[in-house]
Amino acid sequence: MNRYEMIYIIDTGLEETARKELIEKVSGLISANGGEIEKVDETWGKRRLAYAIDYKTEGWYVLVNFKAPAELPRELERNLKINENVLRYLVVKLEEKRSSVKPRPVRPAAPVEAAPAEEAAPAEAAPVEAAPVEAAPAEEADPAGDAE
Amino acid sequence: MSEDRGERRPRPRGGRRPRRKVCAFCVDKIEYIDYKDINRLRRFTNERGKILPRRMSGNCAKHQRQLSEAIKRARAIALMPYTVD
Repeated sequence: MNRYEMIYIIDTGLEETARKELIEKVSGLISANGGEIEKVDETWGKRRLAYAIDYKTEGWYVLVNFKAPAELPRELERNLKINENVLRYLVVKLEEKRSSVKPRPVRPAAPVEAAPAEEAAPAEAAPVEAAPVEAAPAEEADPAGDAE
Repeated sequence: MSEDRGERRPRPRGGRRPRRKVCAFCVDKIEYIDYKDINRLRRFTNERGKILPRRMSGNCAKHQRQLSEAIKRARAIALMPYTVD
């Protein structure tokens, strides 16, 4: 079993129920193939894409953490590729050593619990500073802020 | 803080070198550069969205490698632009 992290982008044209269904389906696919879902994080929600994909400028981001045997990602990607409501996906293997940037990134819950023990301190620190910013979940000003 | 990274300083004749840059990731003790952390990643791209070279960012080789990987991942899922124009 390896630990993976997957992000996929759902077409915002899809209504909520259909979207929920799709997310269910993907999660089901993971568990059906011997995977084990750790977390499904939908808090990113609707976000502006940094560039248009199929002429769409927004997408619904879903982040999934899961444990799975090594063959699963391939099967998963095959299915995501077939589904035309999925604009993009990215499956990344997580390595154990990682502590990391986690405190800051997009979500308060972000620490990908790679190293639960040592991470205690930063993990606690994170939600505090992260939460207020995250209060408005949908989109932060992203591509706009490029110039800083 | 990132401002001084981009510009090119003329090297003075007299041999005094520009201040040695240090790797921002080493300073922050970051082991894994997360591709989702776009606010951080963005500091290492220029306004066209290109990845800054080490000589500008001052990153160490290890972190520059991780950084470029992270930026490329972020681009793949449309968190960062491949190009801005």
